[in-house]
Amino acid sequence: MRAILLAAAVVLLAGCGGPPRADAPVTVVFKHARMFGDDPVPRLVAAFERRHPGVRVKTEALGSSSDEQHQFFVINLEGSAAARGPGFDVMMLDVIWVPEFARAGWLLDLTPSLAPGELDAHFPAAAEAARWNGRVWALPWNFNVGVLYYRADLLARHGLGPPRSDAELARAVQRIRAAERDPKLEGFVWQGKQYEGLTCNALEALWASGTALLGPDGEVLPDTTRAAHALARLRGWITDGISPPWVSAADEELTRRAFGDGRAIFLRNWFYAMDLFDAPGAPVRGKVGIAALPGRGAAGPSPGSTGGSLLGVSRTTRHPAAAVALARFLASEEAQRVLAGGSVLPTRMALYHDPALVAKRPHMPRFHDLALAARPRPVTPAYLMLSTSLQPELSAVVVGVKTPERAVADARRQLAYALQGLR
Amino acid sequence: MTARERAERRAAIGFVAPAVVTLAALTAGPALWVFWLSLRQRVPVFGIDHFAGIAHYAFLATDPRFWSAFRVTAVFTVASVALELLLGLGLALALRGQRVGRRAALALLLLAWALPGVVTARLFEWLYHPAAGLVNVALGVALNWLGDPALALPALVLADVWRTMPFVALFCYARLLTIPAAVYEAAAVDGAGRAATFRFVTLPLLAPVLLVTLLFRTLDALRAFDLMFVLTGGGPAGLTETLTVYAYRSLFQTLRLGFGSAIGVIVFVLVMAVAAAYLSVLRRREAAA
Repeated sequence: MRAILLAAAVVLLAGCGGPPRADAPVTVVFKHARMFGDDPVPRLVAAFERRHPGVRVKTEALGSSSDEQHQFFVINLEGSAAARGPGFDVMMLDVIWVPEFARAGWLLDLTPSLAPGELDAHFPAAAEAARWNGRVWALPWNFNVGVLYYRADLLARHGLGPPRSDAELARAVQRIRAAERDPKLEGFVWQGKQYEGLTCNALEALWASGTALLGPDGEVLPDTTRAAHALARLRGWITDGISPPWVSAADEELTRRAFGDGRAIFLRNWFYAMDLFDAPGAPVRGKVGIAALPGRGAAGPSPGSTGGSLLGVSRTTRHPAAAVALARFLASEEAQRVLAGGSVLPTRMALYHDPALVAKRPHMPRFHDLALAARPRPVTPAYLMLSTSLQPELSAVVVGVKTPERAVADARRQLAYALQGLR
Repeated sequence: MTARERAERRAAIGFVAPAVVTLAALTAGPALWVFWLSLRQRVPVFGIDHFAGIAHYAFLATDPRFWSAFRVTAVFTVASVALELLLGLGLALALRGQRVGRRAALALLLLAWALPGVVTARLFEWLYHPAAGLVNVALGVALNWLGDPALALPALVLADVWRTMPFVALFCYARLLTIPAAVYEAAAVDGAGRAATFRFVTLPLLAPVLLVTLLFRTLDALRAFDLMFVLTGGGPAGLTETLTVYAYRSLFQTLRLGFGSAIGVIVFVLVMAVAAAYLSVLRRREAAA
C-alpha cells in the first residue's frame, strides 16, 4: 500500500513540469515509405514494442516517390524549430541523402551508440553509404544493386554465355536477333530518361571506363577523355542498334516490363526485378540469368551502383535512446530476415546464404557475389546537386543533341558554379 | 471637399484597409522576401548564408540551361495557347450549332478540364508508351514520343491542349449564348454571308472574352510545371525543362534557396510584364468602346 501511494506521488510530481522520467511511456515516430505487397513493418514494430514495454512506436507513411520523400524531409527538418523538433524521430533515408542530411546537422551521430565493428556485417558498399566525415549517421536497412539480366534460354539456344564485355554483349544481340527474326525482340534495354536512374547508368559506364564522377580531391569528371569515352558508349548502344531508341525515355519500370514480357534479351536493372521475373505466371519465369554489368574492352565485368535505404535518427529527437534502439532493432539481422522474406533485399551479407531465405529466393547467393563488388554513388552532401545538374547533359548525349566532349565540358561548368564554396 | 465627403473618404479607407493589409501580407511581402533571397547565396545544408548581390543573375545571363528553359517556356506558351484558342473557339462554335446531345458534350468537355494535372500527365504517359501506347497503335507508327528531342515538347503541348482547350471553349461558348439573335438577323438582312458574319459580328463580340481567356491561359502556360515534371522530368537533354521546373530543382531538390529564388524572380517579372501588356490592351479597347 505504501508503495502504491509512493508511486502515485511520484507520478503526480512527475506531472508537475519536471523532466519526463525514464520509465514514463514514450512515443517514437517512425517515418517510412510503404513496402511492396505484404508490409512487414507493422509486425516488426509490434515485436519491438513487446521488448521495450515503455516505448510506443507510431509509424507514418511517406509519399511514394523519392522526390516527394526528400522534399518532405528537407522542409520539415530545415523548417522545424530546434526546440520542438520535426515531429518524427526515426526516418527511412534514401542511400544518397545521408551525407547531405548529416552535413545539414539533421541527423544524430550514431557512432557512440554502436558497438565497434557493428557495420562490418553489412555489405561494404552499404556501410560506406552510412558513413560521412569518419562518423556513422545511419544504419543500412535495405539494398539494391544494378546488375545485368539476360535471357538464359535465348543465350543457351545460340551457344552463348553471359557477356563479360560490351563487345560480347553487342555480338550476342546481333547474333540472337539475326537468328530469331522477331521484330518485337529488342536487344539491351536500360534507363536513359532524364532522371536519377540515368545517373546510375552513367556512373556504371564511367566505372567501366576506368574513371569516376568525382576525383579524389572532389573534382567533377576529372578525366574528361575517359568520361567522354564512357558517355559515348551510352549513345553508341542506340546508334549501333543494340538498344531501341525509346530507352532515351525509359525508367526502371518501363524497361522491366519490356524484359519481363519477353521483349528484350538484356536488361540493366536492380535486384528487385528478379522476384517479379520469377513470380508464378511471369512470361520469363525460369528463363532469366543474372550477371555483373559488362566491362569495357578486356577489363572484365564492371561494378553496379547501389541503391536502397538506411535508418537515421533526428538530431532533435526527444527520445534519443528509444529512437536509436528502434533503428538498431529494425536494422538487426533478425528484423532484416523478416524483411527479406518479403520483397526487400537485406544489407546483411550473412542473410544471402540463410537456408530458409535461399529456399524462398534462390537467386540470393548469386546476388551476394554481385553486391560485394558493387559501388555506392558518390558519398557527398552535394550529391543531388551533382546528379540533377548532370542529368540534362547525360540525356543530351543519349539522344545525340550534344557530343560527349561538349556535354562533359558543360557539366563541369554548371557544377563549378553550383559547388563553389560547398566543399 | 465637404466635411461629409471627408468623413466618407475616411470611412472608405477604413473599409479598404483590411484588403490592402491582407494583400500586402500574402503577396507583396513574400514577393519582396523572395527578391531579397535572390540577392543572397543561401544553401542551408552547407550552412551558407551571405550576400551575393547580382551574382546569381549574372550567372543565369550566360547559363545555357537557363536560356534553354527560357526558350522552352516561350515555345510551350505560344504553341499551346495558340492551339487552345483556335480549337477552343472552333469547339464553342460547333457546340452552339449542335442540336442534340449538347449537355453530354459539355459534360465531356468539363471532364478533361476537371482532371488534376498529375492525373492527366499519368494518362498521357500511357498514351505515349513506346510499345503499348494508344497513340502509336492508333497511328500505326513506332514513335519515341517522350524520348525524341524533336517530339517531346510537341507531345507535351498536345497534352496541355487536350487538358485546357475545354476551358477556352466554355468561356467562348458562354459568351456566344449571350449574343442576341437579333444581331444575326440584322446581319442576314444586310446580306452578310457566313464568313462575313463571323468576321464582323461574332468575332468582335467575342474579342473581350477571348482576350481575358488569352490572359489566363498565357499566365498559366508561363508557369507550366506538372506535365513536364511527371512525363519527362525536363528531358530529353533538358529540352522540355521550363523555368519553373528549373526553379523547383534548384529550390526544393537541391535547396539552393538564393539561386532558385533568382529564377523565381525572373518568372515573376516575366508573368507581370505579360499581364501588364494584356491589361493595357484591354484598357485601350475599353477606352475606345
